[in-house]
Formats: sequence, structure tokens, C-alpha cells
Amino acid sequence: CMLHCFLFLLVFGRAIHAIARISDEFWFDPVEKGLALRSVNSSRSAYAYVFFSSMFFQHYCWTAVSQPCQKEKQLSLPCKLIIKSVLPVFRCVNVLERNVEKCSIYTNINDHHITFQLLCKHGVVKTYNLTFQECDSLQAVFAKHMCPNILKVHSRLLADIMIHFPTSQEEVTLSVTPMKVCFKSYTEEDTDFSKTMLTEIQLNPDEFDYFQVGVDSEVTFCLKELRGLLAFSEATSVPVSIHFDISGKPIAFSIEDMVLEASFILATLSDVEKETASQQPPGFSQRQESNGAAVPSKKPQWNGNTRNTASAKPASPLAKQEIRSIPRAMKEDTMGTEGTAMTEAEARAVLEGAAAETHHQKVRRLQWLSYSKYCIFQFHSLFFGAVSCKEKDAISHTFHSLATASDTEEDFGNVPSSQV
Amino acid sequence: MRFRAKIVDLACLNHFSRVINTIAKLAKTCTLRLTVSKLYFILADKVANGGVSLWCELCQGNFFDEFQMEGVAAEHNEIYLELVPENLSRALKTAQSAKAVKIKLTNKHCPCLRVAVELPSISSSSRIVTHDIPVGVIPRRLWNDFREPSVPDFDVSIYLPVLKTMKSVVERMKNLSNSIVIEANLSGEMNLKIETDLVSVTTHFKDLGNPPWASEDGCQSSAQDRDLESMAEARIDIKKLQQLLAGQQVNPTKALCNIVSKRIVHFILLHEDVSLQYFIPALA
Repeated sequence: CMLHCFLFLLVFGRAIHAIARISDEFWFDPVEKGLALRSVNSSRSAYAYVFFSSMFFQHYCWTAVSQPCQKEKQLSLPCKLIIKSVLPVFRCVNVLERNVEKCSIYTNINDHHITFQLLCKHGVVKTYNLTFQECDSLQAVFAKHMCPNILKVHSRLLADIMIHFPTSQEEVTLSVTPMKVCFKSYTEEDTDFSKTMLTEIQLNPDEFDYFQVGVDSEVTFCLKELRGLLAFSEATSVPVSIHFDISGKPIAFSIEDMVLEASFILATLSDVEKETASQQPPGFSQRQESNGAAVPSKKPQWNGNTRNTASAKPASPLAKQEIRSIPRAMKEDTMGTEGTAMTEAEARAVLEGAAAETHHQKVRRLQWLSYSKYCIFQFHSLFFGAVSCKEKDAISHTFHSLATASDTEEDFGNVPSSQV
Repeated sequence: MRFRAKIVDLACLNHFSRVINTIAKLAKTCTLRLTVSKLYFILADKVANGGVSLWCELCQGNFFDEFQMEGVAAEHNEIYLELVPENLSRALKTAQSAKAVKIKLTNKHCPCLRVAVELPSISSSSRIVTHDIPVGVIPRRLWNDFREPSVPDFDVSIYLPVLKTMKSVVERMKNLSNSIVIEANLSGEMNLKIETDLVSVTTHFKDLGNPPWASEDGCQSSAQDRDLESMAEARIDIKKLQQLLAGQQVNPTKALCNIVSKRIVHFILLHEDVSLQYFIPALA
């Protein structure tokens, strides 16, 4: 599959940075209608999806290539990239816009390479050749339209709210009634109040462009994971929609306009139903819906901020999960069902991977994520190069390997120049 | 024990924030003493602080539009609280466009200073941001630890050079040495010196002027007999000096220091409505 595109760097760069807050790797999935980027964190409590329609790009060319080993439904093979490899391309996004005239992205499935090429001022061309892992698709199943609570607000307002929390604040609780909205620092029974500064912001429903509260609720989610989306949505100036339900159900922050859409779906805290029901603070009463998404009780703890440390290997128990056949619709949030039962093996995988906080007995997990087995073809390598030459006509070019640079930039000096 | 106060004027709020920011740079934890007319930020000279002590005094009337206080008892109408000034600084940081800031002493889960910032919003009612800053109430029997330090029997008193200049000199010296020698004489001359195995650097200031100190009971005669050229010096921790200078966000009206040779350096920084005294002991 070949994909050529030029793009608005600031927005694209911010999208990459936003996804970087979720995980160390992401899915790069070009399809006919546009380019989808997806990511999920290691504890599967945060999922990010950004879709750039082909109209976002100056030029978008996508060709389907039939592969013998493909499942019939998939016309293109999504691939997984390590964020750390891609971030340097978009490192100083603000500076990029000034210096870069064009950015092109090519993929060549046969060679397992994606190439980012930046045509900069003064004839400098920076080319980043990144190897990817082939993988099966990552899909989120989340019925946004079934959420009783929907808020819509300009990203500027959301940023103005979150600025009151310290950057170290991990979790934030959103509490709504039809009369008021409140964001506050998350506290639990054993919070040491004498050591913690607590912040609370109360807003009037009038401040929101759209305000619908079907059920009073208090949901707690990870602020750190959200901050990336806030920066991204400020770059796009698109209002942010917040869809959520009661505690335990995921909360979705999404933006949508003519050429792009993005959704960050975060799990929210819910108490595990357990012996100490009497000690539960009122805000976190567990209400399990019997829709097949039953959670085996006493399932522990989760550390939502664990990054993907073992990048190359999948946790084997995950491979055993049943693979649901999901039609490859463009809009992922129109899926009908709500949840996927997690198998015991999976639960163990979450345990093994995540740092356990056994004394809290609180769980935050996205129960609905379907995650198929993926296979790895080869270990990735990263190749930087700079070629000083006059601007090439990028469209006609297929990159297999990088021409030897006549004047390499210093900071690429210690990267091994492996060949494709 | 009750305390509530309110600031409505933006200029006062900014001024108050600046004072808090300065204190936050000097002390991780400090004592806030509230009386009917004044607020004090106090750091007592404990070993844990490296022997430095801080005394900062504000007239509440210059900052607050409303100020009501009831101390622990009628005869002791004061409140002593221990707090982390950085928390207060953070709470005020995002209040720069506030309509009003209210501060109240509360006791929900534990004693707290509740800072409620009323921010303008597009809707009819304002946005309210509340910060609960945990504080420790200091019992009366410990109040003696926080008495105002007396001015030491100094050898030389001299006005400081322009703080910005002094700060940049000290910052550069900080990279070379851990300690710095301040020396000054009664002829308005001051030297800042560092000396290491590799290098010694001295910066000379002159024509600084020496503040006149009114003698209380004539015991100033010893200072008056002092040779005008003779330098009093003290070697102090350079980081403490740098913190003091870096924390100054506004140029003080008066800035001076009193040097007790080889014992202690006493800095006094005076603004219109705030006075700050900072003691740095000499290193052994």
C-alpha cells in the first residue's frame, strides 16, 4: 500500500504528541478514506484514536494491495510504530511549521517501512525511515450515543479548567448534576488530607456549548492522559465533546470536524464489589450492568500509567482472547454493543503487566476493548538521514533505501546506518 | 479560632502573590502568624534549615479588603499556622484575573486554609476555584519559638548594591564555589569573594552608603570607633544568598545588610508595605 500525503504539521504533530501520552507505540492505519492513528496503553485503560480524512492532506494517495495472507475483510494492513521513533520527526512542532515546507509520508508494505520526509527550507531534506511491525487491527467498541451525559465545550475552556490542577495531579473527578458541574482532585478513603492540597472547580452549565445530564454521576479519570488531547484540540480549535455515564463506565473526549476526528476514551474508576461495601464512599457505588461485560470480582488494581515496557513481545495470554469479527467501519463509535467479557487469562495479564495496588481494591479498566492477537515480523530500527539536494518531486518516488547522505547532521552521528 | 479575609483589588492580589512567591522560594515550610493588624511569615532558625531564619511582616490593611480574625483566646488574639508556602503560591498563580479571592480557615478533614478564587466567566454566575491547603495549627506553648529576631550587634551595616546586579554576580559565582564571603566596611565598600583551588573571584562594589542606625542607649559607640576602612566579613552558603536574591520579584525600596564578623549576615529588604528580614549564619 502506498500512501503519499502532505499535511498541516502543527495539527499532525500535536496528534502524535497526544497519542504519545497514552502509550509508547501506536497503530498507523491508512485506509481509503484517510489515515487512522490508534493507541492503547499497557493497562488498557486508555485508548486514543485520531482519524485524518484524505481531505486533511494536500495530497493523499492510497492503493490497495492484495496480500495472500490477509483476511478477506482487510484491504490494507495496519502497522504498528514505536512513538519514540516518530516523535523526533515532530519534535518542535512550532518550529517545524516555520522551517518545513512539505512533509510526506510513504509506506511500503513489502519492505516494512514507513518514510516521513520533511522538505525544509534551503533545500534541506530530512528523511526518517521507520520500520514497523505488522499487526492486526485495534478497535475500540464504545457506544458514545448511548451515554446519558454529554457535555460540549470549547477546548480553551477545558484547558482553562485543567490549568488549576498541578501538573503532577494524576486523577481528577468530574461530578455532574443537572444544575452544576464540578472538576476536583481525586481523593479516596485513605488520602492523607493533611499532606495533600485539594483543588475544586465549580462551573455553571451555562458555560458549556451543550449540556445534557441524564444521570447524576461522579467519574474519575486520568488527567495526564487527557492533557495530550487538550493540546491537540487547541491546535485544531474544534470544540470537545465529553460523553460519559456513571462511574466505572468509560468517558470519551472527542473532537470532530470536516477533515479530522479524534477520540480519547479513558476508563473511569469503579469500586470492585466486595466485602467492604460499607466503607465505600458514596460517589463510587458500583452498579454493574448485566450485559455480559461481567467483571470477575476481586480483580485487582491497576496502574493506569504504566507505559509499554516490553515493546516487542505481546503478553501471551492476550492471544487467547476470542477475536470478534468487527466490520471495518470508519466511525468506530457507532458500534452497537458495549462490552467484551475479559477472560481470566486476560485478567492475569493485566495483573502481570501492571503494578498492583492491592490495598486499594479499585479497578479502572476498559472492559469493552477488543484486542486481537498480533504477530511481529521483525525488530525495528530507526534510520535518520539528511540529504542535501534540491527539492525532489516527491510524488514519483518510492523509497526502498536511503541514499548516502553527503553531509549528515551531527545529531544523527551515533545512529547505526542499517540498511533496509 | 477563626480567620477569613478577602482581596478584591487586582493590584493588591498581584502584590500579595509576589510576596508569597518570594517566601515560597526561601522556605519549604514556614509559619504564618496572624494578628489583627498584621501577617507574618516566619522561619525559625533550626538546624534543618541550615540555620537561616526569616521574618516577613505585612500590614493586612494594605492587601485585604476584609480581614477578620479571632485568635486562640482573648488575651492571645493571634493564630500561628504551619504551612507550605508553595501551595499558597500555586493557588494564587491562576488567580491573576480574579474578581475576588477569599481565604478562610476551615477544618473539614483537617485544618486547612481554603482559598476560593472567583473567576469571571461567560455565564451569569462566576467560576469558582477552591483550593484547600492543609495547615498545622501551632499550639500556644510553642509560640515562643517564633519571636521576632532582634537586630544583631553588627560590625558593619551597608546598603546592598542593585539587587539585579548582585544576583547575576552571585549566580555566576555559584557555579564555581559552594560558599561566598561577603565583606563590607563603613566607607560604603562591599566585596563578594569566592576562592577555590583553581580560581578566586572578587567583585568590588563601592559608594554603596552606610545606613545610619540610631543608637538606643549610646552603645553604638563601639561601631563609631570602628576604622572606616576595616572590613567585616562572613563566609556564608552561596545557595542561601542566591535564593534570597532570586526570590525578589520587585526592587525593594531599601535593601541593606548587617554583618557580624564571622558570625552572621542579616539582610533587611523593605518595600512600601512589606518588610523582609533574612539571617544567614556564617559557615564554620
